[in-house]
Amino acid sequence: MTGRLELDQVTLAVELGPLRLEHPLVDASGTFDLLEYARRYRGDFFADFPYAAYVPKTVTAEARTGNPPPRITETAAGMINAIGLENPGIDAWVRGLSEWARLRQPVIVSVGGNSPDQYAAVVRTLEAHLAAAPQGSAPRIEGYELNVSCPNVTGGLQIGADPAATAAVVGTCRAETRRFLLAKLTPNVSDVTVAARAAVEAGADGLSLVNTFKAMVLDRQTLRPFLGNRTGGLCGPAIKPIALRMVAEVAQALPGVPLVGMGGVVSGLDALEFIACGASAVGVGAANFTGFEAPFRILAELRAELAARGLASPAAARGLALGA
Amino acid sequence: MRATAADDHVHGEQWAETSHCRVSGVRRFGAFTALELVAPRIASDASPGQFVMVTVPGDGFLLRRPLSLFTVHGDRCGLLVEVRGAGSERLAGLEVGGTVDLAGPLGSAFPTQGATNALLVGGGIGCAPLQYLADALSATGASVTAAFGFRDFRAARAAGAFAIERLWVASEDGAVGRQGTVMDVLAELDTSPDTVVYACGPAAMIGAVQRWTLHEGLRGYASLEAHMACGTGSCHGCVVDTTRGKLRVCSEGPVFALDEVIP
Repeated sequence: MTGRLELDQVTLAVELGPLRLEHPLVDASGTFDLLEYARRYRGDFFADFPYAAYVPKTVTAEARTGNPPPRITETAAGMINAIGLENPGIDAWVRGLSEWARLRQPVIVSVGGNSPDQYAAVVRTLEAHLAAAPQGSAPRIEGYELNVSCPNVTGGLQIGADPAATAAVVGTCRAETRRFLLAKLTPNVSDVTVAARAAVEAGADGLSLVNTFKAMVLDRQTLRPFLGNRTGGLCGPAIKPIALRMVAEVAQALPGVPLVGMGGVVSGLDALEFIACGASAVGVGAANFTGFEAPFRILAELRAELAARGLASPAAARGLALGA
Repeated sequence: MRATAADDHVHGEQWAETSHCRVSGVRRFGAFTALELVAPRIASDASPGQFVMVTVPGDGFLLRRPLSLFTVHGDRCGLLVEVRGAGSERLAGLEVGGTVDLAGPLGSAFPTQGATNALLVGGGIGCAPLQYLADALSATGASVTAAFGFRDFRAARAAGAFAIERLWVASEDGAVGRQGTVMDVLAELDTSPDTVVYACGPAAMIGAVQRWTLHEGLRGYASLEAHMACGTGSCHGCVVDTTRGKLRVCSEGPVFALDEVIP
């Protein structure tokens, strides 16, 4: 490692497969609603959008009302949620696209479902919409993230835990689009590289990992499960060491496959650690709930962390934790 | 990190709702702590019923805590904190001169237009937003009556935090006010047909108030509480069931029409 660099000597741009990103940070699906943020920003939020790509909340073929409340609570060094993929369904979703057509950054659409056909229906509907959409009426949709790992719906987690089912979802969607295709993996397996390999062999261009850990919180008075769904997904700093290990395992098993690493990133150092474990981009999830300024802060910290180590770019840090 | 502090500041300024506030007053009432904060922008933008997301000071906490605005006077905002867990305990332990980060005002407000006779019904920590509402209604010349219920003597000491002229208090152990629940107080009140009911409290109380207003032929509003993560509409963690489907307490609420709530 060389000496310290000035902040302006660090170039943050990265490549995620065919995507050229201004920097490595993306939002983790379901934690950052562009329009809600824009409504609360004094300036032009589209001009100052903090992430290098936007991953909206997962959309499914049909509308879903999600799980019964309560859906969320804080845990030691983290939080648990069981939202249940509440969303308006792909038909209503595409009608809303024009509202954020001004976004400069690429969009990676998170897709959910219970079967390969349901995933493919979302991709097909969106592709048809984009093919017919007038210039400027939709944001730059450059990829998909197949969410085969939501722990809070019937089917979602099971797909991600089953390599054959994962491959079936990826393969069916691959046939519907030429855009960049990510599969988002579940950590609720004994060997994350198995589903990772299955997804890539079925046509995924890259992988996002990890989704949340299936977990449970009890009501301290009644000792009954606190969440309306009984179980939920654990995220936040508590899961970061496990997520780092899983990203490193996949990076070593599948060298060259673009990875979006995530799990408990709340600081620039956290993001750098995922890059060192082999991630090209880094997802920020629960940290979005700590304050509106979180992504701006984490990005500034990442630049400083790179500079402090004499690393001129994220690429220079990528994989430093791997190997002997 | 020092190198980025300037950036943080610049971006912090861009958020309509982020404030770094000094604690200017702390009063403790049994299980409740009333904090007074210097928060000029929130004080000038807020309406009764709205809430703020409060960053728990120090390390160890991830999520901010949603707290109703309890009072607004000049450039000061009051918050009422009930200790429910480690996070609220940390907030309740704030001292004068300490600082805390707030995002707000957030959410919907109590509609007050045309309310000349108001009945405020509160349960426990749910009484908090009704002080601010009482102050705002009184300022318009409306007649304000409040009925508050508390669990036990430790909670009922919170009644001392309120300054409402016509305030009836019930406590389940009879330590303060009438023994019983707030519904026992309502049963004894004479209400005129133009009374607008404003309720905030636990779900069971909201349900009871809803049935009572239906029986009495009164209209009203309920402010609901929920565990929240973002507080700003992103995470869908705080939804409640309503006659309009699942709605987010943080952004479609916390104030709903009483007859659309499904407690």
